[in-house]
Amino acid sequence: MKMKKLTATILSGVMAVSLTACGGGDNKAADTANSAATDTGNKAADSAEKAPDTEQAQGGVELEVVTTFAGNDGNAQTYKKFYQMWEEKTGNKVEDMSATADDTFKVRVVTDFETGSEPDVLFFFNGSDSNNFIDAGKVISIEDIRAEYPDYASNLDDGRIPKSWVDNKAYAVPVNGIWEAMFVNTEILDAAGVAMPGADYTWDQFTQDCQKIKDAGYTPIAAALGDIPHYWWEFAIFNYNTPENHLTVPESIEDEIGKGWVAGMEDIKALYEAGYFPENTLSAKDDETFAMFTEGKAAFLLDGSWKVNGIASACQSDPDDPSTLDTEKLSKFDVTYVPAKDGRKATDLIGGLTSGYYITKKAWDDPEKRAAAVDFVSYMTSDEVVPEFAQHGSSALKNVPEVDENVFNELQIKSLKMVAGSTSFTGPVQDLFQGESRVPTFDGMPEIVTGSVSAEDAVQEGLDIYWSSDL
Amino acid sequence: MKKRKFSVPMAVIYTLLCFWALTTVYPIIWVVLNSFKAKNKILENSFALPMGELFTLANYRKAFTNLNIFGAYKNSIFISSMVCAIVILLAGLASFALVRYHFKLKNTLYMLVVAGMMFPAFATVIPVYTMEASWGIAGTKNWWLSMLSVILPQVAGNLSFAIIVLTGYIRSLPIELEEAAFMEGCGSIQIFFKVIVPLTKPSFATVAIFSFLWSYNDLFTQMFFLRRPDIMAITRLLNELTSNEGTDYGLMAAAVSLVVIPVLIVYIFMQKYIIKGMTAGAVKG
Amino acid sequence: MGANIYKNKKPLFLFLLPAFIFMIVFLYFPFFKNIVDSCMKIKQLGTSGEVWNEPWYSNYTKLLTDENVRTSLKNTLIMTIVTIFGQVGIALLLALMVDNIKRGAKVFRTLFFFPIVVSATALGLLFNLIFLYDTGMINQLLTMFGRQELIDWKSEKWALFTMMLPVMWQYVGFYFVIIVTGLNNISEELYEAAAIDGATRLKRIWYITVPLLHNVLCTCVVLAVTGSLKVFDLPWTMFPKGMPLKSTFLTGTYMYYQTMIVKDVDYGCALAVMIVILGVVLSRIVNAIFKEKDY
Repeated sequence: MKMKKLTATILSGVMAVSLTACGGGDNKAADTANSAATDTGNKAADSAEKAPDTEQAQGGVELEVVTTFAGNDGNAQTYKKFYQMWEEKTGNKVEDMSATADDTFKVRVVTDFETGSEPDVLFFFNGSDSNNFIDAGKVISIEDIRAEYPDYASNLDDGRIPKSWVDNKAYAVPVNGIWEAMFVNTEILDAAGVAMPGADYTWDQFTQDCQKIKDAGYTPIAAALGDIPHYWWEFAIFNYNTPENHLTVPESIEDEIGKGWVAGMEDIKALYEAGYFPENTLSAKDDETFAMFTEGKAAFLLDGSWKVNGIASACQSDPDDPSTLDTEKLSKFDVTYVPAKDGRKATDLIGGLTSGYYITKKAWDDPEKRAAAVDFVSYMTSDEVVPEFAQHGSSALKNVPEVDENVFNELQIKSLKMVAGSTSFTGPVQDLFQGESRVPTFDGMPEIVTGSVSAEDAVQEGLDIYWSSDL
Repeated sequence: MKKRKFSVPMAVIYTLLCFWALTTVYPIIWVVLNSFKAKNKILENSFALPMGELFTLANYRKAFTNLNIFGAYKNSIFISSMVCAIVILLAGLASFALVRYHFKLKNTLYMLVVAGMMFPAFATVIPVYTMEASWGIAGTKNWWLSMLSVILPQVAGNLSFAIIVLTGYIRSLPIELEEAAFMEGCGSIQIFFKVIVPLTKPSFATVAIFSFLWSYNDLFTQMFFLRRPDIMAITRLLNELTSNEGTDYGLMAAAVSLVVIPVLIVYIFMQKYIIKGMTAGAVKG
Repeated sequence: MGANIYKNKKPLFLFLLPAFIFMIVFLYFPFFKNIVDSCMKIKQLGTSGEVWNEPWYSNYTKLLTDENVRTSLKNTLIMTIVTIFGQVGIALLLALMVDNIKRGAKVFRTLFFFPIVVSATALGLLFNLIFLYDTGMINQLLTMFGRQELIDWKSEKWALFTMMLPVMWQYVGFYFVIIVTGLNNISEELYEAAAIDGATRLKRIWYITVPLLHNVLCTCVVLAVTGSLKVFDLPWTMFPKGMPLKSTFLTGTYMYYQTMIVKDVDYGCALAVMIVILGVVLSRIVNAIFKEKDY
């Protein structure tokens, strides 16, 4: 129990320090140019050859690699392209066993480690999903790899490589990151006579705007509280915290942070009672409310960076072909900061690098595979490859390539600007607050907003579960 | 033969049957139609025809690039046919014994069969995987072993249902034919193959259809055991549908269409075994 | 006489052993592990427990006090009744009708089977769209007929109805196929004899068909009861996490919820044990009521 609190505190400190650093111009990092896909290939190949740490593997090594770049993941094709280029360059072979990152996939990865059939290289989440195999010492930390390959992941900013919650060491080499913010349908704002919110947006302004939008006959907020309350939960709590202490799970509702959690839930309840969520917010699924937003029925949407592409594809006649984009429709969408209350500044964002490449002990202990695995990860996280994955998202690169705005659509450029204006990035506290402890305030959100359970009781119940489990 | 001519009750019967058929056919048509629409158009226009602007082949293009479809069909059909064959044989033998023999543990065994049907797949699949990994069947590169690793648990999973259906049917068979065979000197194994199997053919066909179908549609087990691109099964398509941006309904409709077609063919083919008279005639003659 | 043939019990092992070895190795052994797990602390699905719960039966006492267990049992009970009368009942009616027509029987037999072939995920989506609040098929129709207010079919008031209707509809075809198979077993001569005696068609059905279908119907009811205890995919796709307000949980969806979403894996194991026990008990009751007959 003490252990848990300690790691949480360390983590929050580390995150806050490292991430505030990326506030200013550094954010270009995130925002990398999609430097014309044709020549990147060559560049990438060049750079990897130059890389001194790659003891050129002689080829003929077969690496088993599991990633989440599969199926509908936006980067599935990018991943395929680059691992095949790596194969060509080194003569090694990648046995790709990637799959969509759903629950079955997570269970499979865990089971693999338990039965000793884990892959050589794994691209996986670095949150609590990884606790078990890190605890069991089945993956090698970046520190240990650097003892032998000093340049491993040296092109990345160490401060921004997330640490494991088990031992506060870094294991996963990150590629692309996420942020969470508020998307806006400006057509509705215009119709309701509401100005586009900016960096100093406050909660009071927000509720006034919601009322205006509601009076104009639209739904102010697109959210399915009965299905995915996660984003509202996170920001409502963040409002009462600062980036420095947001990643602290309170001990009870009595302490300062705990009071903030309760107040955050009360804020969501107030929005619900004022009728700012869709009428069927408790029974709708997230897909439905997202469709309300893209179809011009709801004005605000709190969601993550991946929705930039989701909104764009909703404006395309062929969702998989960006050339069919209806630019006029897309221009109606914008992205801005989540309205702030109490301690937080509106420009403080939630975000981070939530996954990365692990090298397993199994591959490390195999003299044939060690060099190949290190070379593979170095290649896939090199300065040339990372931007291809990160696109308009964020990354941990030290040298941030220039942004070529021509390759991005309007919403992507708007989000680049939004991110560039942010003052900090903080990881979501809900990543610490997992499983059963979430039940009272996540799945229980409908009970809280309808008043059948009080916010205090729900938060306290969740905290009790959190502190009584010993993970 | 019964005489048929137009009558009011007959008209009512046909109306009712047609109505029900409409409700059962519509979903398939709906799925197929939507497979020709872009993913972002489905939520809004799910009941419109895919014409003009709405029409696209993008979902099928995507389905075919994501997966080696023909290889996946081959694997799927191999797995499901094997499961189907083993289930019929083992369940047939066990059901025969459970119905015709009288022994102490009979009720207990039947209870175990019923219980076996209730075990949730996600409670059993992990220990089974661990076990098979230790035997060296699961997680190997060998195609045959990988297929075997899925077939074995799926057989076990379908046995309970098969035994319950078959015992219900065998129990209703008149014992006289078996007695006649016994008088002619047949042993119980011969009785099983020469009398029971022919008589039970329709029920075997039913069981075969369902075990084939369930094995074919069993996404969870297949996801767990089949990982390499070359051994993936067709259902895997269904798994490629979710992303952070939301579910790809268009691709889902295309995947479902691709998954369903062979099953319908198999069903129509098997159907003739369920048709009245065929077996009855064979036995009587 | 019948007993004589099967007096020699030596072949019994040959008949039973293969099937039961399969079930023991791939079902009972893993499930036994599940029972042990239900008394241990499991951190993550896929890992095994190392410490016992304190007290070891704590998950089972939790079962007794958990409000959601009560909701799910109540809903499952309703679902069982709906399945027995709705699914098996409709299936029986349809089978009898198809059995009594001459033309098109084959076509109907094929068509009625369709819903089982389509995966539950796709059906879930279809029904979601049919019952959608804003642009759903039913609400659009209602608006066309002049209704002003939209009905939220997934609100607490309607949720159970909206959930059970598709489940019921989906499996009618399944029982239909089994019953049709059973009808094959009835000899045409019996009908002909009855027809000569002047029995009407309805009488023939009531006095010949239904009694002879007794065992098949009994099988169907056992399958319906156990099926309703573990039905999961369609309800889950339409009403994930017991939405709205945890009012739509069934035993099957609640077990999935605890295992996969809440990640209280050992409690999920306890729920699985509860479902299995309920299934066995209920099927015993069904068998006792129906008393399967040998002929």
